Amino acid sequence: MKSVEPPRFILRFLEWFCKPEYHADIEGDLLEIYDRRVEHWGRNRANLHLCKDVLFLFRPGIIRSAKIHQPLTSNGMIKSYFLMGWRNLWKNKLYSTLNVLGLTFGMVCFLLIGLYVYDELNFDTQHSNAERIYRVITHEKSPNNEATTVAAAGYMVAEDPTQTFANVERTTRMQRIGRANLVDPENPVNVQEAITVADEYLLQVFDFPLLEGDRRTALKEPNSIAITEELAMRIFGRTDVINKNLQFSHMDNPVKITAILKNHPKNSSFTFTSVLSESTRYSNEEFMREALSDWTSQNYTVYALLKPDANADSVSSKITRLVHANVTLEPGTKLSYNLQPLKDVHLKSDGIIDGARNANVDPIPQGNPVYVTVFLFTAILVLLIAGINYSNLTTARASSRLKEIGVRKVIGAVPGNLIGQFLVESFITIVIAFGVAVLIVAVLLPSFNEFANKKFLLFSSVGLGFWAAAAGLIIAMGLLSGGYAALLLSYFKPVSLLKGLVLKSGSDFSVRKALVVLQFTISTVMIIGTIVLFRQVHFLNESNLGFNKDLMVVIDVNVGKARSNFDWVKNEMSKIAAVEQVTVTSHVPGDWKTLVRVKLKKEGGSDQLHTAYVIGADKDFLATYGIELLKGRNFGNKNDTSAVLINEAAAKILGITHVSNEAVEIPQSARGSSFAPVYDDINASFKPRVVGIVKDFHFQSLRAKIEPLIIAYHDNPIYPIDYYSVKIQPQNIQATLEKLKAVMVANDEREPFEYHFLDEQLARFYIEDQRSQTILGWVALASVVIACLGLFGLATYSAQQRLKEIGVRKVLGANLLSIMALLSKDFVKLVLIACCFAFPVAWFGANWWLQEYAYHIDAEWWIFALAGVITTGIALLTVSYQAIKAALMTPVKTLRSE
Amino acid sequence: MKRFQLGEFEEIVLLTVGVLHGNAYGVTIKDEIEQRLNREVSVGSLQITLRRLESKGFLKSTPGDSTESRRGRPKLFFEVTAYGKKALDYCKESRDELWKALPQMVLNLK
Repeated sequence: MKSVEPPRFILRFLEWFCKPEYHADIEGDLLEIYDRRVEHWGRNRANLHLCKDVLFLFRPGIIRSAKIHQPLTSNGMIKSYFLMGWRNLWKNKLYSTLNVLGLTFGMVCFLLIGLYVYDELNFDTQHSNAERIYRVITHEKSPNNEATTVAAAGYMVAEDPTQTFANVERTTRMQRIGRANLVDPENPVNVQEAITVADEYLLQVFDFPLLEGDRRTALKEPNSIAITEELAMRIFGRTDVINKNLQFSHMDNPVKITAILKNHPKNSSFTFTSVLSESTRYSNEEFMREALSDWTSQNYTVYALLKPDANADSVSSKITRLVHANVTLEPGTKLSYNLQPLKDVHLKSDGIIDGARNANVDPIPQGNPVYVTVFLFTAILVLLIAGINYSNLTTARASSRLKEIGVRKVIGAVPGNLIGQFLVESFITIVIAFGVAVLIVAVLLPSFNEFANKKFLLFSSVGLGFWAAAAGLIIAMGLLSGGYAALLLSYFKPVSLLKGLVLKSGSDFSVRKALVVLQFTISTVMIIGTIVLFRQVHFLNESNLGFNKDLMVVIDVNVGKARSNFDWVKNEMSKIAAVEQVTVTSHVPGDWKTLVRVKLKKEGGSDQLHTAYVIGADKDFLATYGIELLKGRNFGNKNDTSAVLINEAAAKILGITHVSNEAVEIPQSARGSSFAPVYDDINASFKPRVVGIVKDFHFQSLRAKIEPLIIAYHDNPIYPIDYYSVKIQPQNIQATLEKLKAVMVANDEREPFEYHFLDEQLARFYIEDQRSQTILGWVALASVVIACLGLFGLATYSAQQRLKEIGVRKVLGANLLSIMALLSKDFVKLVLIACCFAFPVAWFGANWWLQEYAYHIDAEWWIFALAGVITTGIALLTVSYQAIKAALMTPVKTLRSE
Repeated sequence: MKRFQLGEFEEIVLLTVGVLHGNAYGVTIKDEIEQRLNREVSVGSLQITLRRLESKGFLKSTPGDSTESRRGRPKLFFEVTAYGKKALDYCKESRDELWKALPQMVLNLK
């Protein structure tokens, strides 16, 4: 019987994938079974089963491995590199551990700081048009050359510029209008919230992600409000509240929720939780009358979305021209506009006053470019130190591997092979260290987030770029430091290697010395930086501000009744036993909010206008805050509406030396940029009399110099009272607070009790410094630890190298101390040289940074001495461990082999 | 103690090779298992198992002569090695131990 032929293709498929050594007999089996099946079932079914059998044979174990067809060399070599590398690392556990530890330390620092810097640099980049969004900045120069730069503009600047400018796609204006009570009418719970008003284009220029609602229409209708999910949770306890109503305490109509915004990310300059549609105000005739003629008020934050190919400079000069065409400026005043890119808002707004910021509004996170730069540098420096460590330890170990290298060379390894070998070794080390570092970062991240006030995730979509870059940089660093060692090790002459010649302290050793010096220079600079920072922050916290900040409770005034009824409230508060004194003010000294500025001149004096800050206060202000009255009198009990006190700085620029009821004039037209339109009915100039001069006190952060200040009576046309300041006694603070709350509630039950302690509030000025102090402190510590790990390795190595020498010396009668000195001397010398380099660098750096503060410490000599002692001490400790170990060894052991 | 790594199917194959003593190659092994145990065996899983057992040292193979029925393809005969016998022994003993240790009651309940 002629046998039936099986389908050829399937057998060929088998031949293609099957291991050749298995192929013949498996095919035999298959054919035997096939023949039987044909007999039994017939051809078709047998074919089908054969196909099935072959397909089931397609599995690992039977499939031939791909590499058989490739040349053996490269793959095999790399495999052997890995094997050898792994064995070498395993064999020298001490060095491997030191290497991995040092690298890990460096990487953890680098990654954490890197995350911080990355976040700071990527502020506001979440908007898809971020590249094209600009903030309008107003530059104003008064006739006497006082310049102000304000991140705000008038209403009309943003009034449909698409008509006027070809290059502007859209503008939007927003205004933060202070706090208001928001209530859910169905379930009244008071929520005090800072309110932002914005026109309908806000959600189109910026793409704040919406949970619900239509971004094109959300802010169009009057009485519409968009709120964040966080605020929705606070008011309603859920987020699906679109189309629900909210009631403002001081508005007749309820507002409708038209959009739910996602919470802002931490790296956003926007912190608002609610946006009220600007059209809500259009029915207010007074508002519209003012708005339509308002070109220069600096009450609105204006953002412009430019067309893709637009030039920001030409747009800003158009704005300047437009404004000039619509207003007549006072002679001598200069006014110009420019556009600040959105990405610069966070870090490059130094010296720009956030003019549209109103009272009672939370501050916007403002970055400090100095710290970002310093951090970026330290991150890279720490990585550098770790890299130096690695190559130092590797080259130091070279001589113990000289024989290995020699044998490899004699067998026929070219430098390329050896470099490959060493590179693979360092690659393994780096990958291990990186893995450990990422693990540590993952563990540390929650506490780091809390501390840095950030919200980092280990692998978020935003951070992927960062991780790729960080991994790339770290591996590049590792390969570079490994590569240096590899190059060095692979170029020795094989003959001398095999003869067992010890690597003489040639060129490589001096390079290693230089690297140790560099490491310790960096570490010492960091230690000095930390001490200076620490001292400065301490100084800021402890320095005499010219007023009394301790035990001062500041209570916010929110509802009108608390303002108008303040006499009663003050009286009730004074009755509490633990309350020493109460005062009402418009601002508190050391307030982080923008103070109101006015322009003024001395009556009867020259026409020159000066700028001064204004605080409104009552007669108890000076006593409560402990501010010293130098001349004249305090406010009296009678109506002193037209009396003011001034500080020394103001007295100086106004030229007031004697207080004889001299008057100053604050013209209405020249009220300051941050003028809050509260008493709009007063159109005439405000001409108060100066009744007293007070000693200068720091009413702003210590970064700023003390500026001229006017303390107006609480009932003044410039700014109403906003705070109660209560000086309390230290006992039972909680009980006192409860009593204070009771007074506020008794006055108006809608009034929420919002308070803070003044000293805590003041500390917020320096929170960034404190944070940096901590970060820098840890980095300095890490860098010292890393450098010492390296030193430890080098000392171990050098002790091992000199074991015999030490043995001989001991036999000849050297004592412990002299041997320790012998071994430590070289290293301590290096550290001392490092200090010499570090001192001037640190001195310049510290002075540069301290310049930022109007009031600062000096970089004193003892700081440097202390840092020097710390580094040298730590280095000495590190080395002496090895030195003692070597010195205590029995010479018999070390000398026996000779 | 895990002295011998022997899976259930591996054990069956190993035993079957022993049963077939001298006539164990792919097809006969497959047939034997299918008949005795009434279970379907694919060429793929059998081959994989045979090779694995061989690489573990439980089996050794010798190529046989080519025959007409297989169109010139050789048979590959398998044989249990001494080590393989030890593995089987160990397997049986350890099972027996366990059986012995089983309380009478449990068996009765079955």
